[in-house]
Amino acid sequence: MAVVYKKDEKAAKKRPNYVLVFIALAVLTVIEVAVVQFPLPRAPILIALSIIKAALVALFYMHLRSDSRIFSALFGLGIILGIAMVISFVLLINTPFGNDH
Amino acid sequence: MEEQKKLTGHEPYQPTTLGIDSRKLGIWVFLASEAVFFSGLIATYLIVTVRSTQGPYPNEVLSLPLVSVNTFVLIASSLAMVIALSNAEENKIHRTVIWLIVTAVLGLVFLGGQVYEFIHLFHNGLTLDQNLFGASFYTLTGTHGLHVLSGIIWIILVIFQLLKFRGDASQAAMKVELTGLYWHFVDLIWIIIFTVVYLLYT
Repeated sequence: MAVVYKKDEKAAKKRPNYVLVFIALAVLTVIEVAVVQFPLPRAPILIALSIIKAALVALFYMHLRSDSRIFSALFGLGIILGIAMVISFVLLINTPFGNDH
Repeated sequence: MEEQKKLTGHEPYQPTTLGIDSRKLGIWVFLASEAVFFSGLIATYLIVTVRSTQGPYPNEVLSLPLVSVNTFVLIASSLAMVIALSNAEENKIHRTVIWLIVTAVLGLVFLGGQVYEFIHLFHNGLTLDQNLFGASFYTLTGTHGLHVLSGIIWIILVIFQLLKFRGDASQAAMKVELTGLYWHFVDLIWIIIFTVVYLLYT
């Protein structure tokens, strides 16, 4: 007998508008490419836009918004560890100790 | 003597003690570990690219228009994948298969674009051992490309499984959902790579 999960059934009934999410992702990508063409503070804008895009994919396409919070916690832990790794590596290498120049 | 029941490989999956599907739990643990893995590659790229002492440099060889089109293709493939899942949940197996084929084809288009880009870069003097930028660029984007290829193979296997599938619709939907989670993750990682590699340095 197949195991049926109530949360899955509920999520299937209340589907987000996937096309709208796609349009948002496409528009944000166009904005990202446009930002590069103008003399704007590139890094903060681009990082913010990519975080929004990644969040849209995770929340709506990967269904973290409606699925069990355990999945969000697990994936969030991986993301936090990853971000911590990137920040610590970049900071470490730019200290007098890590800088070989 | 108690007779042991022979496993057929088609037994129903049991829920975990948390009340969630063990297969979904497994794939989320895997994706969390993949997030850490790609973070390591991204951190390496950020650290070593700026330390390249000889060209070609990112702003000299990377083509933003080509990669922007490729990004749209991958985002569109994610849309195709969620539409496939919606159809699977409604037990429309044939439509599910069609949308999975669309997803796989878009994935192949993305890979084709990446191969074209690599050839273009190679002709412009950027090889794996040319400089630190070349080494970290090919490692990061190549690893992502291999993930896309794995995703395409996975989708093709699921298509064959669905074509022969005669069981419970919720189980078919679960197969598509697990594949979809991996596919969307690959898309999510590309969103970050697109910003870090192509937008910040060009």
